[in-house]
Amino acid sequence: MTRHPIDDLAALAIGALDADEARAVRAHVAGCQSCGAELRALEEAAFAVVATAERDVPDGLRTKIIERARREGVPRQAPSSPLFDLFRRPAPLAIPVTLAVLLAVSLAAYAGARRDADRYASAIAGIAGARVVALAPTGEVAGVRGSLVIPATGAAPYLILDLPAAPSGKTWEAWVVRGETPLAAGITNDRVVTTLVLTAPLASGDGVAVTLEPSGGVDRVTGNPVLAGKT
Amino acid sequence: MSRVAGGDADALGELYDHYGRVVFGLIYRMLGSPESAEEVAQNAFHSVWRQANAYRPERGSVRTWLLAIARNAAIDWRRSKGNRSGRETVIDETLMLVDERRVEDTVITNLRAQRVRAAVASLPPEQREVLSLAFWSGLSQTEIASRTGAPLGTVKSRVRLGMARLREWLGDDEVQR
Repeated sequence: MTRHPIDDLAALAIGALDADEARAVRAHVAGCQSCGAELRALEEAAFAVVATAERDVPDGLRTKIIERARREGVPRQAPSSPLFDLFRRPAPLAIPVTLAVLLAVSLAAYAGARRDADRYASAIAGIAGARVVALAPTGEVAGVRGSLVIPATGAAPYLILDLPAAPSGKTWEAWVVRGETPLAAGITNDRVVTTLVLTAPLASGDGVAVTLEPSGGVDRVTGNPVLAGKT
Repeated sequence: MSRVAGGDADALGELYDHYGRVVFGLIYRMLGSPESAEEVAQNAFHSVWRQANAYRPERGSVRTWLLAIARNAAIDWRRSKGNRSGRETVIDETLMLVDERRVEDTVITNLRAQRVRAAVASLPPEQREVLSLAFWSGLSQTEIASRTGAPLGTVKSRVRLGMARLREWLGDDEVQR
C-alpha cells in the first residue's frame, strides 16, 4: 500500500521542509492526484497569508526589472526536465565499476546476514563478463537502487532495478540520454527487483536514467529522475 | 509564463504588475529593510526571467512558484550577507502571523484580507508562532525546533494543524484572486 505523506504537505506548502524531505515528498506528489490536490489547496491558503504582507513597491523597481531583462535578452532555454541538469553536473554520477562490485558484494553479505537473500545484491554479484555501472539515486525516492549492465558479448544492455511499485496510473521508464536528447528505453511496472532490457541503442558517453511517467510510458520525459548514471 | 519563457520582457512586466506588491511585501517582511527588499525583489524577478522555462503548470500555480522563488531569494540574500542582526530584528515582528497594526494598506479593507486575519486570529498562539517563523523568517521545521526549543515532532504537528485550519477556514473559493 502506498504511504501518502499527508503530514508533510503543509510544511512543503510553506517551504518548511528540509531539502531532502521536500524532494521525496514532491516525488510522491508528482504521481499522486489526491496529494497533489491537497498540496495546491494548502499552497493557496499560504498565498492568502503572504498576500496580507503586500505593500506599495518602490518607484522605478518595475523599470529596473524590465531593463535588466532586456539587457540580458532571451532567457536561457532551461531544460524541459531536471534530467538534463543532472547530466550537466561536474561530479561523476556513476559509481566506479570496481566500487559498484564491492558495494554489491557488501550488500550481498549484509543481506545474507539480515535475511536469506537480497535479490538485487545477488543479481549484481552474480554478473560475469559484463561491465556494471551503478546508477546513483537522486534522492527523489528513498531506497531505490539500480545498475546498468553492459554484456561483453555485445548483447543488449539492461538495467537491474530495485524500485517500489509505481503509483496507480504511473510506470517506471528508462531513458538513454545522448547529449541533450533523452530516448525512451523501456518501461516496467514490476516491483522490487527486476531487469529491464534497454530498447534504445546505448553508446559510450551516453547517460541512463529512470523516471516515473504516466502509464504506458511517454516519448518525451516529464518526470524527475530517481536513478541516473553515465557510461 | 510562456511569453516570459519566450523572452517577452513586457510579459515579465505584466507578471510584476500582478504580483510585484506581494513579492515585495513578502521580501520586505522577511528582511525588514526597504533597500534590501528592493534589491532582492529585483533579483527574484530576474530569476523568474531566467527560469521561466522550468515552470510547470501541473505542479502548481504561477503565484506559488513565484513566491517560492522570492522566498528563496530572501533566504539566499540573508545567508550571503551573514545578516544575523537584521534577522533577529525581524523576528520580533514575525511572531505576528499577520500584522494587525497595518491599517493603511488597501488589502486590509477588503473582505479577503479580513477573512485571513480572522482565520489567523483563531489559531492557537503556538501554531501562529511556528507558522510565523516559517513564513517570515524562512525557517525549516528543524530550524524552528532548534530556535524555539520545542521537539521537532511538536513543531511538525503545529505546522500541520495550523495550516489545516487555515486551509479549512479560508477555503479554495476564498483564496482565489
